[in-house]
Amino acid sequence: MKCMHTRLPDYYAKVEAAAKRLRPETKFSISGMENVETAKLASLRCGRIEQEIVQVTEDPEIAEIEIKMVPFNPEEAYSVVIKGKRADGSCKKAVLDNMYATIPSVEYYLFDAEEIDDRRSGSRQYDV
Amino acid sequence: MKFRYRMIPKGAADGVVPLNVVFIDQADAKACGLTDADAVKLVAKDLGKDCAAVNVMDKNGVSVSSDGIMNPIAVTTVAAVDHGMVNPSFGCMPLSEIPMYETMMKDEPHMRQWLTDKFAGKPLHRGPNKQDLGERTGHNEYMATTGRIANNNSGSEFFNVIEMTEILALMAGQVEIMNDGEVIIGVAGPYVSVGIGMVVSERWGRIFGGTNLGGYKPGATAHCSGEYAKTVKSDYPVIAAPKPKFMETMLDALDIGLVPGRELGASPSLVSVAHAYGKEIAFDRITPAAWVELESVGITRADLEKPVAKPYTREEMIAHAEEIIPGIVNPKAYKVSELVEWREVEI
Repeated sequence: MKCMHTRLPDYYAKVEAAAKRLRPETKFSISGMENVETAKLASLRCGRIEQEIVQVTEDPEIAEIEIKMVPFNPEEAYSVVIKGKRADGSCKKAVLDNMYATIPSVEYYLFDAEEIDDRRSGSRQYDV
Repeated sequence: MKFRYRMIPKGAADGVVPLNVVFIDQADAKACGLTDADAVKLVAKDLGKDCAAVNVMDKNGVSVSSDGIMNPIAVTTVAAVDHGMVNPSFGCMPLSEIPMYETMMKDEPHMRQWLTDKFAGKPLHRGPNKQDLGERTGHNEYMATTGRIANNNSGSEFFNVIEMTEILALMAGQVEIMNDGEVIIGVAGPYVSVGIGMVVSERWGRIFGGTNLGGYKPGATAHCSGEYAKTVKSDYPVIAAPKPKFMETMLDALDIGLVPGRELGASPSLVSVAHAYGKEIAFDRITPAAWVELESVGITRADLEKPVAKPYTREEMIAHAEEIIPGIVNPKAYKVSELVEWREVEI
């Protein structure tokens, strides 16, 4: 189990370490999964991301690594949990509902990229 | 060889058009040896750092408006482009040709329009089939998205999801665009807002229905939002056909015996036209929720049940189209040739 999967906090630690591996002063940020408190990530994917970060930092011009976790499907469905809590913090009632959001797709984060190296698997890459 | 396409640019129509909308004639793409998807990618590159909603159109095809009126135009691919890119999974969606199936005329009686001389034998495109949907799942609308742009409801609603702007393009308006005719551009207003929800039930419809028929039958409201239905789309700009031309499409359907509320949606325009034309309206099939929405824009059952003293002839209906068909606030007519920017790509 532990070989196959990586905890979300461990992923954050691993990718930051990867960003600073060659130059500890490299600035680092990651965003996009702030509302996910816990998750298991595929270890193979984590390894790929770590390797790719290191490869990007091999260019001495790179002073900062910024990672955006963008929903693959730009039309997302969310479950909304509305919790009514007492003064002591106990939850008296929860209401569940759906929320649909059309999110700017991943291209929105690429507008300023001078070069795009699309390594997504499956048939999800841009035509080269 | 040059590939040409039409674009209604952001800011057109005296600033009313909020985003670029591209219309590709599929025949122009084919003449250059391009598939729909190839043509979309060319447009993406040609627009550089700009963005646009893109419809690929078959001028020989037919499609159906949300309230069940057939139009001599079809959208064969919907797409969105931004900064030269087309999202590989969600940015481009074909709308495959829909074959006539054995029980179609029974299951979708408004499709009797397809048997008339005007439309018979022409390829039908409405919404996507399962393969067209690709990686889209059950909660996804019939939408193509790339970057900032979403092209929704099988090519009739275009959004910029950053600026929160939108423009509607009614099918009859798209007919005019592709034939370099004349369009009306204005604000949708309450009647159009209500009308969009008065849908028909179809397999692979432009908005609802897949392998199974869409759940909203003629006479129902898909908005189902009471007095709020008139506000849902009321402040969006809309591209429509001049009302006399819009009128003709509705008269064609009424002339073959189709009835609003029974075979056609009970939209404000269709019930108003049927009433003035002295044609049947299936009053009892219009659901209570749909009546609430109609009455919220001043269309009451009591008024519609009072027959007109002398129904208009077809010619009179067309002549009086402006006063009979409700809807569109601050409408302004534009020649498509003055509105559209023709763009060329060397290939």
